[in-house]
Amino acid sequence: MSVPSDLRLGDVFSGMELAEVVFGPLERVDIVRYAGAAGDFNPIHIDDTYAQGAGAPTAFAMGMLPAGYLAHAVSDWFGGPQHLRRFRVRFLTRVWPGDELVCRGRVDEIEGRLVRVRFEVDRRGPGPRGLELPVREPALSGDADVEPPA
Amino acid sequence: MAEAVIVFELPVERGKVREFALAVAEDNPIHYDADEARRRGLPDIVAPPTFTVTQMWQVPREERERRLGANLAYERVLHGEQEFFYQRLPVAGEVLTGRMRIASDVSKRGRRGGSMRVVTYESVFTDASGEEVVRALYTLMELPTS
Repeated sequence: MSVPSDLRLGDVFSGMELAEVVFGPLERVDIVRYAGAAGDFNPIHIDDTYAQGAGAPTAFAMGMLPAGYLAHAVSDWFGGPQHLRRFRVRFLTRVWPGDELVCRGRVDEIEGRLVRVRFEVDRRGPGPRGLELPVREPALSGDADVEPPA
Repeated sequence: MAEAVIVFELPVERGKVREFALAVAEDNPIHYDADEARRRGLPDIVAPPTFTVTQMWQVPREERERRLGANLAYERVLHGEQEFFYQRLPVAGEVLTGRMRIASDVSKRGRRGGSMRVVTYESVFTDASGEEVVRALYTLMELPTS
């Protein structure tokens, strides 16, 4: 997924909204692929029976999967991941198979060559049967420091 | 007896970089194509920003727990927060050295009452010349027993 905005330092201003990037809908195979790539074999993300034993209706995504998508979006906003200096995410709620992930961000402040951005990822989808989740809610929030090309 | 630090190697293998980049839906050619990476001033293909989480392959949770001894009740543990500090991105072909320790272990009042334990693991990754490349903070929250 590409964003048409490889922003340079001269393009950005405080309060600037960044292009929305949507990933998904998340499929089971995306979770399995990430489990293998990352080495995260916690069965709660892969095995429905195990997840149900832990009180969840189905298996759900590891937080670092949408965080990885988000890092991708932030990288694309500013011309590539090599310009990232710091990246932080907080996990607010679980992300389920079938969810779309909507990444939104804005420029918070600019200090010299360093641009601080704040962002959220909303999960958007019906969620698993029985949970009656909102069809859209913030799942991750965070901030990053980027040194975009001049 | 718990150890203060776990030292381990994180090889930045070319195939592993591609595999991880695919898993986070990356389409930037600097993760796949060495010529494209060089055209952008990088020495070779580079790892995506969250790549160092693959340290789980080197130090799985059980080993981390046994050696660092945080003694968390994992049936009540959530991944609360993650943060990375970058000097540069890892480059395919290099072998990073990771040093993992418990950076903080505190109790906070939970939102629904009770005491919540918050443990942050720090992993510092250095290159062959000893320079820091990436520092990662992995924060787990142990919820109160209900």
